[in-house]
Amino acid sequence: MSDPLSKSATATEIAGAVMSGKVKASAVIDATLKRIAAAEPTINAFTDVVGERARKRAAEIDAGNHHGPLMGVPFAVKNLFDIAGLPTRAGSKINIDGPKAARDGALVRKLEAAGAILVGGLNMGEYAYDFTGENVHYGPSRNPRDTTRMSGGSSGGSGAAVAAGEVPLALGSDTNGSIRVPSSLCGLFGLKPTYGRLSRAGSFPFVDAFDHLGPIARSAEDLALSFDAMQGWDPDDPVCTDRPADPTLPRLIEGIDGLRIAIAGDYFAKGGEPEAFEAVAMVAKALGATRTVVLPEAAAARAAAYVITAIEGGQLHLPRLRTRPQDFDPDTRERFMAGLLLPGAWYVKAQRFRRRYRASVLKVFEEADIVLAPATPCTAPKLGQVMMKLGGVDLPVRANLGLFTQPISFIGLPVVVAPLQRPGGLPIGVQLIAKPYNEQAALRVAAFLEKQGVASAPPA
Amino acid sequence: MADEKPDVARLVDEGAKAIGLPIAPESRANVILNYERSLMIARPLLEVELDDELTPGPVFRP
Repeated sequence: MSDPLSKSATATEIAGAVMSGKVKASAVIDATLKRIAAAEPTINAFTDVVGERARKRAAEIDAGNHHGPLMGVPFAVKNLFDIAGLPTRAGSKINIDGPKAARDGALVRKLEAAGAILVGGLNMGEYAYDFTGENVHYGPSRNPRDTTRMSGGSSGGSGAAVAAGEVPLALGSDTNGSIRVPSSLCGLFGLKPTYGRLSRAGSFPFVDAFDHLGPIARSAEDLALSFDAMQGWDPDDPVCTDRPADPTLPRLIEGIDGLRIAIAGDYFAKGGEPEAFEAVAMVAKALGATRTVVLPEAAAARAAAYVITAIEGGQLHLPRLRTRPQDFDPDTRERFMAGLLLPGAWYVKAQRFRRRYRASVLKVFEEADIVLAPATPCTAPKLGQVMMKLGGVDLPVRANLGLFTQPISFIGLPVVVAPLQRPGGLPIGVQLIAKPYNEQAALRVAAFLEKQGVASAPPA
Repeated sequence: MADEKPDVARLVDEGAKAIGLPIAPESRANVILNYERSLMIARPLLEVELDDELTPGPVFRP
């Protein structure tokens, strides 16, 4: 049990301490803001700190005005979430000139309704087209385990802020891997829920076909706690499911009993560095998983996800590429431009293939509840690194950190990243992939691995 | 899929004109490079064969 005012405290521990009266929400926020001020010159995870708002909210909680399962828990959000009174940067310079958000994004409102306290907006790759956590306008968010290395992206600030102990909980977005990549590189638990499970209302889009929002935290329990608070239909997001909320937290104690766990072979067993596959093997051993399954045509799925992303993303930004090209990160700009020029026939083919791939992968899940795969092909690359060697082949870092995440978000499957800390080395994550709407199974496996000491958050 | 390599530079120049996308001279080489990378990454999709009956998954509800 950590001191609720320390940087290693989990959201669950903080909420418990505030609810029991052991500590005041105001004291939690004061400690959090001090930690942010101390860490930021090195980590650069935050672009906006809303200290005054957080202190006001904490005082209201201490006065007995707000109750809920996340009472007094500080959290921060990737700066593509609307924060009332601030422009929604989405990692860009251009959006600073846009309108200030009239109200908070839907998930910010849900977490605050559960008693949590927003402390700020977090750095990210420009317009979320990124796996590195670097940003030409605001500087890179740095990996707290080695500040010369990438945090991963595009939710880089979300990973860095939690790994540095600035906040116990952060929200990110994941279109092709942007929650899972920083969770892996920073060594944290991350949840990309089923497509449409959590409302995206009040967040800046990237690729509507694949955009998901979700939490990054220091424990599986904190993922479940926050996920449960954020579930529920929202008419403001057209793809948000109207399925009833399905609480996952009460089910964590069930462990892995009855779960059929398999290892993804073929595509997911090659093209990465040895540590990625060693991590999967360690997790499989701890879970007693020996069976290998194949997600058919995963390479084509990754290609299709790439094509849809390039074309939808480029199309979204065409007006800005025409009028303010000089204000983009050059690297982002030129990838968006190339995407705009790809054949429309590719897009339609990718969407048609998506349906076939979904059907064949769901068949695999008739015989397995959880499938294990690497989250990233390697540990955190150096900041500024452009190329990397994977499986003996030189490949661009930006396009390839999401090799193993893209075929999964392509069809909206829920995934929890379980982090392995690798003493003497850098952390790396393993994807625990479930069938649609079965987040509880992946969270149960993550909680089991944590209990066994296989998965854990980094030392604070 | 055609085996013949397209003239990507021309494709980029003419495609940009067609959609009214100005590409500054200093950006052109990198747009071409990214297009070439896209050709390589998209290849596994382009090699897939699909039945005529396979329609996209997205549903538009009026």
